[in-house]
Amino acid sequence: MTDSRPARIWSLVAAQAALHGGPVSAADACMAAVAAVEVTGAWLIAARGAEAGHLMRVTDKASELLAELQMTLGEGPGPDAAASGGPVLASDLDETEANRRWPAFAPAARQAGAAAIFAFPLQLGAIRTGVMSLYRMRSGPLSAFQLGDALTFADTATLLLLDAQDQPAHAAGSAEAGPGGQPANLTRHRAEIDQATGMLTEQLGVGIAEAFLRLRAYAYAHDRGLSDLARDIVARDLRLSPDPDPRKDTQA
Amino acid sequence: MDGELLSDTFVELTDTMVVGFDVIDFMHMLTNRSVQLLDVSAAGLLLADPRGELRVVAASSEAARLLELFQIQNDEGPCLECFRTGQSVQVADLAAVAHRWPQFAPAAGRAGFGAVQALPMRLREQVIGALNLFRAAPGALDPADIRVGQALADVATISLLQERNMRHTDTLNEQLQTALNSRVIIEQAKGKLAERLGLDMDQAFSLLRESARTSNRRLSDLAQAFVNGTDSLAGVKVTGSQPRLPGPRPPRLPGS
Repeated sequence: MTDSRPARIWSLVAAQAALHGGPVSAADACMAAVAAVEVTGAWLIAARGAEAGHLMRVTDKASELLAELQMTLGEGPGPDAAASGGPVLASDLDETEANRRWPAFAPAARQAGAAAIFAFPLQLGAIRTGVMSLYRMRSGPLSAFQLGDALTFADTATLLLLDAQDQPAHAAGSAEAGPGGQPANLTRHRAEIDQATGMLTEQLGVGIAEAFLRLRAYAYAHDRGLSDLARDIVARDLRLSPDPDPRKDTQA
Repeated sequence: MDGELLSDTFVELTDTMVVGFDVIDFMHMLTNRSVQLLDVSAAGLLLADPRGELRVVAASSEAARLLELFQIQNDEGPCLECFRTGQSVQVADLAAVAHRWPQFAPAAGRAGFGAVQALPMRLREQVIGALNLFRAAPGALDPADIRVGQALADVATISLLQERNMRHTDTLNEQLQTALNSRVIIEQAKGKLAERLGLDMDQAFSLLRESARTSNRRLSDLAQAFVNGTDSLAGVKVTGSQPRLPGPRPPRLPGS
């Protein structure tokens, strides 16, 4: 039941990319999410770290307007998701709570045609790559199944945005293997991977996003599982060197 | 059971829920207090990710964490059964249930556990996770211990909702995701600190918690600032009682 979700979502994203014949990007995850999660539209803001970010994709006129409203007014589910590090699920913008929380944005969003907005931070711990927002003309919460799918679309978009930041180091994701040669599955992802990523910031003298990219690039180049590799790093059996050539990394 | 420790624990729990609340720190404390209060040697806490998987959110020891992980990965064991049925599961003698959980029972034995009690975390009709109590020696947990254990599991459930609107499933899902992501941030910070100071992960975690307490900050905020480099944790010192690496390795379970 659970193993198939990331694979199913990945194939939807890859199919979306095939429509325009280009490489798979986070914009495809945003587009594919609209039909799969049964919402009216979506938009995706890509950001690096603390940067304000740029609007990478809107799926329709209303989502463009909603994105602009949030930026202009400086409030809304998107900014809150970016600040809190968790999704913001505003299933009814007519509710008092939504109006108290976003006094300017909530009425403006309703006027723009949104009855519900669901914003998902694109992140992996302290790694922040942006926010994906979905809107629907009809109010009401996402079903448990839709929420699980939406989160998995967000995971996929996160990995794709990270890959896009690092084009020269390794090739963009292929439709078969998922981004960076790793299956787009962050739920199976475990404490060791996060710990190893943290360790690599020190070993390589780089930021957390770069450390994660190096970990994945090494796993890809040496045809190893990410968790397996992470365990070796955490056990201090393997250190990566600051040299960008992963072949120079030393086995202890 | 130590009545004074029990009342102290509940005072401490409610205090934590008021000021500078950090859900992961809180759940970690819950697993530690479970071990101190109840006749168990380890405790682990699992939460359901809305993506459809269970995740280990807190554990009193590395052995307990690995055993929880083992169940998730092998898709069998009392904690999973407790989560799926929403009912508590008691196993007084793990050696006697190898037929029921052919992979989990021997793995638990190798990790040094003889009995387990799994308690559901429920919110109305929804099961959101489980608190699992492991005993070194075989034997059923005392009914009074089970009641207190369930109360601790209930407190853990409520802590996810904090001050927010209880009737919203939206709120619960938001908090769950935020909690799961702070767990990731804390693991990243543990790795960075462990590498910098030559510590193992448990020592790094203790130092982070200590530092959060001393500076009166939320654990996840401190972890985030440390990972991003906006806080170098310059004042953090390794005290003499903490052995530096190479120390004992955590036990490795097959397939974990």
